[in-house]
Amino acid sequence: MKVIIDGKKIEVEEKRTILEVAREKGIFIPSLCDHPQLTPFGGCRLCIVEIKEKGGYPPSCSTYVENGMEIKTKTPRLQELRREILELILSEHPNACLICSEKENCDEYKSTIRKVGEVTGCVLCSNNGRCELQDVVETLKIDKVRFPSVYRNLEVKKGDPFFDRDYNLCILCGRCVRVCQEVRGASAVSFVYRGSQAVVGTVLDLPLLESGCQFCGACVDVCPTGSLAERGIRYEDLPDERATTICPLCSMGCELKIDLKRQKILGSKPSDEGAVNEGQACVKGRFLIKDVVHSPRRILKPLVRVNKELEEASWEEALDFVAQRLKKFKGKKIALIASPQVSCEEYFLLHKFASEELKTENVDSSYRFSPLAVFDKMVKENGLELDLNFEIKDISRAKTLFLIGEDIPKSHPIIWLEVLKAVKGGAKLIVASPAELSLNRYSALWLQIKPGTEFYLLSFLSKLFLQKEQEADHPRIEGFDSFKDSLDELDLSKVFEMTGITREELKEASELLLETENAAFLFGMGLTQHPWGSRNVAALWNLALQTQAQLFPLGLENNLRGVSEIEQNYSDKGLNFNQIFQAASSGDLKVLYLAGPAPYLKKANLEFLVIQDSFTNENFKFADAVLPASTFAETEGTFINGEGRLQKFNKVIDPLGEAKPDWWIITQLARRMGNKGFHFKNPSEITKEMIKIVPSFSNISYTDLEKGQKIFTQEETRKERSFIPLKYSDSHHKKSKKYPFLMFLDYSLDYYRSLSLSQESRGLKAIRDSRWIKISPEDAEKLNLEEGESIVVESSSGKFKGFVKIVKSLPKGILGASFLLSEDSDFSVSGLIPSVFQESHSLGMLPVKIKREK
Amino acid sequence: MSESNKDQRELIHMLHDTQEKFGYIPAHSISQISRELKISESEIFGVLTFYKAFALKPRGKHLITICMGTACHVRGAPMIIDEFERKLGIEAGETTEDNLFTLETVNCVGACALGPIAIADGDYHGQMKTREVDEIIKKLKEGKNKDIE
Repeated sequence: MKVIIDGKKIEVEEKRTILEVAREKGIFIPSLCDHPQLTPFGGCRLCIVEIKEKGGYPPSCSTYVENGMEIKTKTPRLQELRREILELILSEHPNACLICSEKENCDEYKSTIRKVGEVTGCVLCSNNGRCELQDVVETLKIDKVRFPSVYRNLEVKKGDPFFDRDYNLCILCGRCVRVCQEVRGASAVSFVYRGSQAVVGTVLDLPLLESGCQFCGACVDVCPTGSLAERGIRYEDLPDERATTICPLCSMGCELKIDLKRQKILGSKPSDEGAVNEGQACVKGRFLIKDVVHSPRRILKPLVRVNKELEEASWEEALDFVAQRLKKFKGKKIALIASPQVSCEEYFLLHKFASEELKTENVDSSYRFSPLAVFDKMVKENGLELDLNFEIKDISRAKTLFLIGEDIPKSHPIIWLEVLKAVKGGAKLIVASPAELSLNRYSALWLQIKPGTEFYLLSFLSKLFLQKEQEADHPRIEGFDSFKDSLDELDLSKVFEMTGITREELKEASELLLETENAAFLFGMGLTQHPWGSRNVAALWNLALQTQAQLFPLGLENNLRGVSEIEQNYSDKGLNFNQIFQAASSGDLKVLYLAGPAPYLKKANLEFLVIQDSFTNENFKFADAVLPASTFAETEGTFINGEGRLQKFNKVIDPLGEAKPDWWIITQLARRMGNKGFHFKNPSEITKEMIKIVPSFSNISYTDLEKGQKIFTQEETRKERSFIPLKYSDSHHKKSKKYPFLMFLDYSLDYYRSLSLSQESRGLKAIRDSRWIKISPEDAEKLNLEEGESIVVESSSGKFKGFVKIVKSLPKGILGASFLLSEDSDFSVSGLIPSVFQESHSLGMLPVKIKREK
Repeated sequence: MSESNKDQRELIHMLHDTQEKFGYIPAHSISQISRELKISESEIFGVLTFYKAFALKPRGKHLITICMGTACHVRGAPMIIDEFERKLGIEAGETTEDNLFTLETVNCVGACALGPIAIADGDYHGQMKTREVDEIIKKLKEGKNKDIE
């Protein structure tokens, strides 16, 4: 198909708009409401064109090309119309600076800064020239506005975290409304009121915090004016440099553009080229990167304990001190905690250091808590192997989605975008959750399940399937008979009463699952973090086999997959995460090397404690030496994201203060201890060795790593799959008179190393504070508790503090709290250790009581 | 169009029903409709603030509506409004403190020949004169609206 634009013959495909085609061919058409990520809107009318033999001036953003179309984009008449339209837009947007005759001089000297009223001038706009409206004014050469200017005098909305909303600058292009609705599925803002009063707003003009906003920042990024302005960069100058790297704050591995000014991070934005995130991010990647790297809690000098005090030391002194002391111990008396947030190279190096130099097998990290680790363990215990050969993008192609144990728009916002794509394409979403979630708006079926009864729900669904399948001559998968027998033995007579789900709902769920050939099951911590989490996953596994669904364990830390692959290479005979901390307090350990997030040590019965971290934390008071590690932004390496995508992250700034990358610290230590194997001068040398040693990396070449972005699959062929017989037991915690509440523990991913993000960022704290104790309105009323009140939660094994957060959707008798390793001792759920850590690495559900703090 | 979208077209009907039942759209109804129709609360708010038929605040016991269409306007509707505002002590769009009267304007009720028009509790008063305002208010108070000529 051919069209002619401005006399140029152009070969085009169908179903494309004139604007898209023109842009591709470098033909500039001014536009303000159109955006590549959004559906055409036709609101601003600046992109009007003339089409031969068609009347009027259709907007090119919403007019599709037709064969033989002759289009003109720059006739004098068009320009005149555009100018008039733009003048109308400007009549409601502060424009004095835009058309001021002294503009050129002023740009340089800001000489006329006070000649215009503050609200009318660009010089005082927080966007500081990053303005599409300014660009269009320049291209259309507007030098006067013939219409009287109207200042709407709307109150600037400053009550929400991270960004201000000044609708006096809004040109009603609707980009924010559309991105929130179409791409993010939140619909927190909408056009409200009518005619000249029309404005972008929320329900009842409530703050965004109360209108379903997830603070992903997508609206800020698409806003063509200074209406939506990030507060953090308000008074900052324009960046002088822009770097690209990978976000380390969850397992998605979103590509971010980092704005820099004199080696300081100003802010971060999602990269349009990001293979995983495609121009989208979440609250953490968009607004918190700067806070993490430049946190006042960073440690920037090595510390060594001299005469009972931690004192600053040089690297030479600190490394010599640690090396000498470490040399005295060997083997089982030493343990090392690594971090699932460091690079593959660094994790590998920590293991190498432990096995070659410390001669210990006691190495572990908090990756044990992830659904992936629980899944892995369960599968291995049953003599099977994990099949993680999936891509996040597969989710958008599923026809039926079953989501259990996670509120993904909050916990995995980028995976949610894929789910949303699937649902908008007609897929049916089934949600099993105890509380009502915002995403229920998109669900075909919500199974409001009583917490902790997931196993029965899944087993019952399996049974329903079995009955339906008996007629069908299905190819028999191994283990079917014993699975069937185990199902028959389960007493499911009380399933409706136990789960709180009706027979009709269960029937509907099974029918929805049966209808489809392409189902995806997404499961998170809510399923795995139970004393019987492993059985829950087994039940889901069987159901997935029956329905031929793909299982997606929802990842946690950025490098979880990398860590899990590296861990396969090492013996798991040593102490695990929980055992290490038990041994540290019982005195069975002599030396603990903390290079990753750890629970707060109540007492340290140790002879030597080294902490290698980027942030100060309470364990410092037991530390004999502290080695300041740099953050992800100050070094380079590779992460493997939740779908097995190998990603290279880049050094963005030089290490702050005297902080050094983890790989450098370990290399130096090992050398000082006499190991010649640690000759690495940069991370890529470690990569080369790692590829040789870790079996699952063996099919990757170094050039792949350099390029990054290669899907990493364990093996191309599908693993042999087999049913797992279900075991049944009812050994779980029960409420009692003394402990009338059951407390849920969310594993909080709002941390980086030992920094709690919600304690660091006031914005995140307003959205979700890791110190919130969530309670139902009924219970709060009964106990006469008010929002924000300080309370103490007590179990049979300990207590911790928190603040009341009343959550409408929470059922009675249930409390919710965040489990965060990087939390201060008073507020840390790890105060309930040991019962928090079940033998299966689960956080479990604990019977607790609460009282008001005195 | 998917099944859920079909339901979403019920939004206006549901808002009408709510308006009729409560005399306005209370906040809890927005949440309820949102849950039922699977439309976000902000989007519902966008729709309900678009139409003048829906109110966000409870209206007074008596509703007085003044037509501000072009025909009524040129025939002196602004003066009628002024008079009502003065007599009731409120501005157009507001409700009196005793919750007895709400004064509103609309942009044409389609009876231009009779302009200027005031509608008091559903009864049309054509060719209004400022001196009739007092009587309308009085009769409304007494509950004898229909008797006004």
